Amino acid sequence: MERRAFLTALATGWAVDAVAPQRKLMTGRIIGASHAVGHLLRDGGAKRTNDPPDVADVVVVGGGIAGLAAAWRLAPAGLDVRVLELESFIGGTSTWGDDGVVPYPWGAHYLAAPNPDARAALRLLEQMGVVIGWDAANKPRFDPRLLCHAPQERLFYRGKWHQGLVPQDELDDNDRDEMDRFSDLEHEFTTKVGRDGRPAFQIPLALSSKDPDLLALDRIDMRSYLEREGYKSPFLHWYVRYACLDDFGAEPEEVSAWAALHYFAGRKLKTPELEGSHFLVWPEGNGKLAHALLQKSNAAVRLEAFVTAVEVLPNNLVDVHWMDTREGLARRTRAKAVVIASPAFVTKRIFPAGSERLPVRTSSPWVVANMHVTRPIDPDMAWDSVVYGAAGLGYVDARHQITQLSERTVLTYYRAYGGADVIGTRKALVQMPWERIADDVLRDLHPAHPELREQIERLDVSVWGHAMPRPRPGFLTDRPFEPMVHLDKRVAWAHADQPGMALFEESQASGVRAAEGLAAALGVELGPTWL
Amino acid sequence: MPLPRRLIQPALLGIVTVIATSGLIYELVTGTLASYVLGDSVTQFSLVIGLYLFAMGIGSYLSKFLDDKLLERFVEIELCLALVGGLSAPLLFKVYTASGAFRLALYVMVTLIGTLVGLEIPLLIRLLQFSLDLKELVARVLTLDYIGALIASLLFPMLLLPKLGVHQTSLFFGILNAVVALLATFLFPLDRAIAIRLRAQCVLITVLLGIGFGLVTKFVDRSETVYFGAPIIYTAQSPYQRIVVTRSPRTTRLFLNGNLQFSSDDEQRYHEVLVHPAVAALGHDPKSVLVLGGGDGLAVRELRKYESIEKILLVDLDAAMTDAFRTLPVAREINGAAFDDPRVTIRNEDAFKFLEESKDSFDLAIVDFPDPSNYAVGKLYTDAFYHLLRERLSFRGVAVVQSTSPQYARESFWCIVQTLETAGFNTAPLHVYVPSFGDWGFVLIGGESLAPPSSLRIDPSRLRWLDAGTLPELFRFPRDTGRVPTVTNRLNDQKLVAIYAREWGVFTR
Repeated sequence: MERRAFLTALATGWAVDAVAPQRKLMTGRIIGASHAVGHLLRDGGAKRTNDPPDVADVVVVGGGIAGLAAAWRLAPAGLDVRVLELESFIGGTSTWGDDGVVPYPWGAHYLAAPNPDARAALRLLEQMGVVIGWDAANKPRFDPRLLCHAPQERLFYRGKWHQGLVPQDELDDNDRDEMDRFSDLEHEFTTKVGRDGRPAFQIPLALSSKDPDLLALDRIDMRSYLEREGYKSPFLHWYVRYACLDDFGAEPEEVSAWAALHYFAGRKLKTPELEGSHFLVWPEGNGKLAHALLQKSNAAVRLEAFVTAVEVLPNNLVDVHWMDTREGLARRTRAKAVVIASPAFVTKRIFPAGSERLPVRTSSPWVVANMHVTRPIDPDMAWDSVVYGAAGLGYVDARHQITQLSERTVLTYYRAYGGADVIGTRKALVQMPWERIADDVLRDLHPAHPELREQIERLDVSVWGHAMPRPRPGFLTDRPFEPMVHLDKRVAWAHADQPGMALFEESQASGVRAAEGLAAALGVELGPTWL
Repeated sequence: MPLPRRLIQPALLGIVTVIATSGLIYELVTGTLASYVLGDSVTQFSLVIGLYLFAMGIGSYLSKFLDDKLLERFVEIELCLALVGGLSAPLLFKVYTASGAFRLALYVMVTLIGTLVGLEIPLLIRLLQFSLDLKELVARVLTLDYIGALIASLLFPMLLLPKLGVHQTSLFFGILNAVVALLATFLFPLDRAIAIRLRAQCVLITVLLGIGFGLVTKFVDRSETVYFGAPIIYTAQSPYQRIVVTRSPRTTRLFLNGNLQFSSDDEQRYHEVLVHPAVAALGHDPKSVLVLGGGDGLAVRELRKYESIEKILLVDLDAAMTDAFRTLPVAREINGAAFDDPRVTIRNEDAFKFLEESKDSFDLAIVDFPDPSNYAVGKLYTDAFYHLLRERLSFRGVAVVQSTSPQYARESFWCIVQTLETAGFNTAPLHVYVPSFGDWGFVLIGGESLAPPSSLRIDPSRLRWLDAGTLPELFRFPRDTGRVPTVTNRLNDQKLVAIYAREWGVFTR
């Protein structure tokens, strides 16, 4: 290049840079749930083999929380346990990622300090060193470093951020009165005991009261309930809607009032240490729990293993037919017992014999976006940032629990599609290109974060077609809280679809229950129940 | 395309005024920088002015060796001056922050500028001698030269220094010199090729200095000069904080994110009370010491007075901070080059993470963090953090924690005491009056046997403020700063941050 040309280029380059700072190129892709492979099952395109099968003691179908919990429960028996997982990762909707800077969640991202009655959850937390002891009242004490650090939440409301989800100073009198009234109601239900002497709302669900007056709440939706009780404040309605979407992925009119109130009144553990926050938070979210369950079980996990059928043989053995989706080969594993830890609609297809015993559940679709950003350090950054009136639920900062400050982090954005038309929404989401989803995410956060696009290096997206069961009115059915385990003497079912509410404690308990239910068929002694 | 004849004379005389002004401006800029950095402004200004005038003499003398192509030479001299003078302030500043050769660079720079300025006027007079008679010429040129000096001496302190700061001022006058050079190429007929070359050079240098003028504010915020009330001699922006060191004739001060960290005229009170009572409470000679925070090296300076100490590990998050206080001459002067001591090891990492991962144990820990004014720093004042600290102290080990002001932030102070007690420490709170801060608090912490010490473990003649008589007084809290009921500061509920903001808010609003 000639000197003059070089200088001209230098000068014009500088001038252009000065007026139009170069736009950073944002990359990303859609990762996660294998819709195409899953739909093979629906469309009957799966192959079978007659080659001699592998042999194991127990096959667990599905490496989500319920399946891993079943394997974890079987660990003391020293059995040969195989977990077959469709995806290339474990954890189901509690899975996680790691970009070398910080691990981050792809789904469930916190665990509220479990009630003393959620014994299996506390047992796991004790094994993990998260529960560090028990106080005089026999309540668990938690490692303070794992409870969500302050500040926990912030809300972008009327053009600025407010600490907490309720901007007290900005609300008008009516909003504030109704929020106070709702808070009193929350407190009343938290301590309320039904006529049968059981807590009105308990975790595990199965220990809740069967008082008909309380169960009647399952017959109406949450929106109707609020209207019936005379709640009109727009802020309160937003607040309850946020909670319903956050916990069940559904609009209040799609959620049983019993379920919604359970969310507000199910947590019983109160200690001084938990006053600030009772959320246990890890950078990778509940991936930490999935990983711990796997580590503390002796199970062998087979990823990209797509189970097509479970078949009970006359000789008291069970064949599990599956496809190695990486190699495209049909495989078969023969076991003494099988735990099917997949959603009800999948379980029906792979084990039609159990269909009649399985509930019908609606599941909510979700989009999760992980934004890998470099941004100036904010020493007062909250864990959870929520934008009032946005379509999504906001985002959490993966670095929040890490004391070492850094300009690089991952922000995990969540959006639940809570409307009634789950099938249409799901179809549209699965076909949506990355560019469109990424753009929607940034637009949704734009009022609070116009600068975000410049800070993102990568934005990856996961579309969860069936993220969680939706506890619609009537989800408790006419035989509430009866945990159904056996689809056959040697085939047990474990999934959040069983209680109908996607809580870690429920999924884990269903796995534990399934494992314990198979002890007799396996001829092993598992000792006293962990539930 | 030379200018119309009738405009040449006024233009040339205008040029005289401008170069006279800029010549004096460079002198004032370098003199100001010298007194900022080296202190003692009378000596520095006197030296700079003397050297500068002498160098002008050299320039005037050298002018006789320039015989032909006077206009070309004049333009080239102007361009040199534009570069050297224009960049003088940023360059000298850079030399100062990068190494210690500031004095040499200063005097070389002053000599160079002076010589170039000394060449200007004789050359101009010779350029003009054909259009005016000598009597008239000398009278006009020298008049304008002195007027330019007056303009400079008025503009500099009243307008330029407060509005633009030294960096932009020197760059601005560099640009003026380059523009003058460009203008000069239009005043007399020049060979076409030469004219194009000279004009291109003029434009290039003008653009370069213009870019510098635009960028320099990114590195130096001139508003801070006013804000901190004293000239800034060092600034750095790390990912964590903005570091500013100011120096006035009497004191050197360090600010982090705008908050005063120490003032050299009374920091001995703070640092002697931070370190020596803790050593005294230890009851035996310390061997290994942990310093958390304290990147200014002033606590280390006090610790070095104990010969028994074998190792000092300093953990400070910000490398920009420890680097500055390891290398800056003014910092080394205050901390006695503490970081050169072979017993000292510096680790730049998060103190929380360090405590979680460390397996070492220490006789003594000095915890000297900034006040809990935000949630990130507030984590270092929680029971969880103090639990980790306790695990790192040896049997009968002692630590001391900087705990903000019991006078301005009474509840904050006692909240820190209570949090330390929740974490299982015995506490002995103490405080000292530091004029630039106010009444300042610390907490001695240790095991069952911890008690306020009754005597120092160091000869008071080696200290500047603390003595045996003052020691017991430190532990006595008068009624208006005494203990108040408060809460424990926890990671998941940092009440301290809110209390602190409320209490200090009263004083800062």
